Amino acid sequence: MAGRKGREGEMLESVYSVLALVFILVACVELCDAATVVDVYRLIQYDLSGVPFGSRFASLNHHAGSLPFAPGADLSRTVVIIPVREINLTLIRDCITQGKALGGFLLLLPQKLSPGNRKYAIERDRSQGKELMRNLLFDLEQLLIHANIPYPVYFAFEDDKINTVLADVKRNDATGQPASATTGGYKLLVSTSEPKKLTSPTITNIQAWLPGLKADGDANQLPTIAIVASYDTFGAAPALSVGSDSNGSGVVALLEIARLFSRLYSNPKTRGRYNLLFGLTSGGPYNYNGTQKWLRSLDQRMRESIDYAICLNSIGSWDNEIWIHVSKPPENAYIKQIFESFLNVAEELGVKVGLKHKKINVSNPRVAWEHEQFSRSRVTAVTLSELSVAPELLESSGGLFDSRQFVNETAVTRSVKLVAESLAKHIYGHQGKKIQIFADGSSLAVNPFYIESWLDLLSRTPRVAPFLKKNDPFILTLKKELSDHVAEVNVQHEVLDGMFTFYDLTSATLNIYQVASVTFDLLLLLVLGSYLILLFSFLVITTRGVDDLISLFRRPTSRKVKTA
Amino acid sequence: MTVFHFFNCAILTFGPHAVYYSATPLSEYDTLGTSVKAALVYLGTALVKLVCIATFLKVPENDGFDPYQELLKGLIGFIDVAGLYFALTQLTHRNISQNHKFQAVGLGWAFADSVLHRLAPLWVGARGLEFTYEYILQGLEANANLVVTVSLAALGSLMWLRKNKPKTLIPIIYVCAGILATMPSITSYLMRGLGWHLPKVVGFELFTSFVMAFISWQLFSACQRPA
Repeated sequence: MAGRKGREGEMLESVYSVLALVFILVACVELCDAATVVDVYRLIQYDLSGVPFGSRFASLNHHAGSLPFAPGADLSRTVVIIPVREINLTLIRDCITQGKALGGFLLLLPQKLSPGNRKYAIERDRSQGKELMRNLLFDLEQLLIHANIPYPVYFAFEDDKINTVLADVKRNDATGQPASATTGGYKLLVSTSEPKKLTSPTITNIQAWLPGLKADGDANQLPTIAIVASYDTFGAAPALSVGSDSNGSGVVALLEIARLFSRLYSNPKTRGRYNLLFGLTSGGPYNYNGTQKWLRSLDQRMRESIDYAICLNSIGSWDNEIWIHVSKPPENAYIKQIFESFLNVAEELGVKVGLKHKKINVSNPRVAWEHEQFSRSRVTAVTLSELSVAPELLESSGGLFDSRQFVNETAVTRSVKLVAESLAKHIYGHQGKKIQIFADGSSLAVNPFYIESWLDLLSRTPRVAPFLKKNDPFILTLKKELSDHVAEVNVQHEVLDGMFTFYDLTSATLNIYQVASVTFDLLLLLVLGSYLILLFSFLVITTRGVDDLISLFRRPTSRKVKTA
Repeated sequence: MTVFHFFNCAILTFGPHAVYYSATPLSEYDTLGTSVKAALVYLGTALVKLVCIATFLKVPENDGFDPYQELLKGLIGFIDVAGLYFALTQLTHRNISQNHKFQAVGLGWAFADSVLHRLAPLWVGARGLEFTYEYILQGLEANANLVVTVSLAALGSLMWLRKNKPKTLIPIIYVCAGILATMPSITSYLMRGLGWHLPKVVGFELFTSFVMAFISWQLFSACQRPA
């Protein structure tokens, strides 16, 4: 008997423990049941010499609102959703400069600019809408990256789901109700940790050395020509800064030139008497910091053997005019020589090349063009670019609008031809002769498919330097590609100079919930309570009679009556 | 707020069962044991139905209405009726009048149905931040289901437990019982074949359940008169 009881007790205990476990597990079930989940990209957060810029916060848990604001409304717990197409820049500017307390911004970019959108049409004609959008995005970007914004700012791409949410929010706002506690609100939730500083961000320079033909008994070092392009970008949304034109086009051109010349140099009969040094530098937007460090790290003899350097910057969307920027005066013999060779080739190709001279101010730390870093190290250099004026700090470094659609393979192909032919003329001494080495249809023709596929790859890879780790797959890809063409490839890691400090968290997922207010649930409780009471009374009346119902409430008195 | 909503939907889904039990004479006669046994029979029936569905039905490719599959599902639904028959006739109940027996069995059956089909979605879904009317509609559906089950149990007890019935009423009883038994098939036809939305379907269910309850009540009292 006792044994059976003991076994029963044990069984009961195990049953209880299993039940408890089930309850705990069930209580932990927290599924994400949001109506909409969207990938969002955060505005960049950085400090420039200690001054904070960009959006200083990342996590978001507020109601959604839309433009136009109700005057005097309290928006400190509202996230304003604005499609960029309809944005009013002056309003945003006022909002930011007045320091208006806001829950956050969610800016919706047009679907066309989405990197995953394969249906982009490479439009040759610059339609009016595209130019407007480009200018708008440029202005918006400049406004946002030079402001200190104390709330989260996120970018997302428009799609059907988020458009319906926005339409709903607009409708609710139009009726004048605040979005917080009453009917049909939407709640936006981004749950991330606080953004942290990136300690010692690395910038990686890749150099490739293609040696020339050294004649036997020649003790002197062969002269070198350098071709350089910076590959990293900077933009308002670092996770979207693909910089197709600035400077993806430069990188692609450099790779193609490396390929062509490696083919030429592979045969000793056609190897030139010049070494070629290819450099893919990082730190471009930050006053070409990486280029400076790379030049300093070069062996002094190698640096002195550089005849001149050609820097490529934004050569992907020009039609028939391109510029050569110099810092040495145009009367300089070297500059004249270089410019003339470019001019000759340009005539053959039917395009115009202009020369622009900008003096270097040594006391000013601003380095607008890459060739200025070379000039500061006493190396002759020029920059080939479609831009006619020097860009300001953090301008033209691959922003929101710099996506695949704004780059043209034919422009890049033309640039490659221009640079390659003028280089070849210089190396092989064919000045003034009408010889085309990289003619179309020959085995040394510029390969448009190579250019197109590399442009596509670059337009899918955001390349903001602090967020590229030392052995990022992209850097390894570039290294591998160069080593396919050239035997000696070196990778150099440096630390970005202290003027810029960056913070992490560049992308997140946004959950959009449709929420009902507490008042709704209270009303519901009231209704349900009355329904159950009615049901109870109805059932008592029909099954037991009305007297029973009354007797439920008057039991004590009725008993008194009975006894009396 | 969201646990609040879960609480609201829970009392909508399960409240009427408790209210029914306490309001009617069922509580006085302590018929809880019958209800519990009926709930267990429902569990067994559900298991058998699951096995049959898994064996005989294909996984639907699209969300449309496949008549053959729906017919099979309806036939499998008759296992429900068999289960109810078992609960009404084969189980040993304490001495309770027929009137209360079918109510207790129907109540237990409907409660088990609600718990099995609606508790898990409610727990997982209604506690989240997202608000939908789905759980309120589900609660209303549970109410309709309670009425339907009790009516079906009433007609079932008429069919199997009462021996002397007026001859004219017998076909009507069987027809009504048939309609009640095929209610799930009818609702799924409405949702998939005609494309009705959930609120409309729930409204239809509530309406038909009350109509059928009224008819069964009339039938039951009509059969009770000679006795």
